[in-house]
Amino acid sequence: MTITKSTLNAVRSAVALVKDPEYPDLNIQQLGILEDVVIDASSIRVDLVPTILGCPALDTIEQDVLAAARALGYEVTVRFCHSPAWTPDRISDDAKKILAHEYTIAITPRTGNTECPLCGHTSLEKRSDVGPTACRSVHWCPNCRNPIEVVRSRKAQDQ
Amino acid sequence: MDEFEAFLDAGGIVEPNDDIPERYRHAVFRFIELHANSEYMGGLTERDWIPKAPGMHRKLTALAKSQDEIGHAHLLYMVAADLEVKTREEMMVDLLEGRTHFHNVFHYRVHSWADQIAVAYLVDAAALASQQAVFKNCSYGPYKRILRRVIAEEGFHMRNGEEMMLLMAHGTNTQHEMMQEAINRWWLPAVQLFGPDSRPDDELLRWHIKSERNEDLRDRYVQKFVPQLLNGGFTIPDPGLRKDPDDGKWKISEIDWEPLKKTMRNGGPDSARRIADARSAWENADWVRTALDAAAKAHT
Repeated sequence: MTITKSTLNAVRSAVALVKDPEYPDLNIQQLGILEDVVIDASSIRVDLVPTILGCPALDTIEQDVLAAARALGYEVTVRFCHSPAWTPDRISDDAKKILAHEYTIAITPRTGNTECPLCGHTSLEKRSDVGPTACRSVHWCPNCRNPIEVVRSRKAQDQ
Repeated sequence: MDEFEAFLDAGGIVEPNDDIPERYRHAVFRFIELHANSEYMGGLTERDWIPKAPGMHRKLTALAKSQDEIGHAHLLYMVAADLEVKTREEMMVDLLEGRTHFHNVFHYRVHSWADQIAVAYLVDAAALASQQAVFKNCSYGPYKRILRRVIAEEGFHMRNGEEMMLLMAHGTNTQHEMMQEAINRWWLPAVQLFGPDSRPDDELLRWHIKSERNEDLRDRYVQKFVPQLLNGGFTIPDPGLRKDPDDGKWKISEIDWEPLKKTMRNGGPDSARRIADARSAWENADWVRTALDAAAKAHT
């Protein structure tokens, strides 16, 4: 079987829609977990970038990716890449809005302070390095008095 | 109060900076404190299974679930403390001294790995169903926002529980028997998690802290899980279970609520050991808290 460019595109479109197990409103493309779909030794390989090493959802994501490709009639393999490293910059703008408005989860901007997704307050108080998941830290907004989870990045850890 | 209730009935969301009636504040506090305590005790149970879970993947999952539950407790205690009824420290002391409560399902011994699967599959599902019902119409803003994330994460736990249950269902005879024994132990506590029938004057319903009556949630759970368990080749430990020929719905036996009341007063089969275990976990981690506080001070 020859794998054409359009096959790769079709597989890419299908696996892009796989939902993240912990954010059922977001897919792996929006979260920047889907890196590429490529030809590897005459078969199709899906490259994924885990948000954090040891993420417990990887198995589930892999199963769902395999199932999505199978639904199109393709058997693919999944590879978790260590490079490039995942950063919150990989999250799409629309997904950032959903995280902020639906989940009250903030992303630290490249410059400036993290804003409270509810009230825009910019002096959040950090309460713990990690929260319910290893990829988010826990802060408190003293203005609107809500706990705010912030997606961790190297930069945020250094603060 | 009439005006406040009209605001709630119209779907109003209460925020911490609002003028909050005392009785509502206390009711919402008690509800969140119970939820926080339950997440905390649940996280400790999960922790017990990290070293015992079979294989690396199951260990990772147990680790992540434990972190989820403790993390949820962390967020809930923050919101509860902000209601200024008790400080976080007071809530911890009350829990560890056995003065406050946590959900019935954490008052039993988890005997085997199959028990742990039954907890993930049956108990987490019951907890998720009740949290979803609270979220749907919850009038307290900060709590509703935490529940949004809790529900997303618990959904992932449930999927994991279901997957492990199916593995046991289609496994060897020994695995199937082990799972059946676990179901025999956990079915009733899971069904009881929803509590006795709601009273018509339940404040939690009136103030939209809860949105559905306990009996409705329980019934929906039974309709979903009885067929699932039967499909897995399991029996349900309820000799009175029957399918109503009129409406085609599963009916369970009348529940004797007296043991549940005793359990909820920390007099359940494993309550004393659980609380003592939580207390020693707290004491053993004292040096961590001291070190973190000292590090935080050194930074400022």
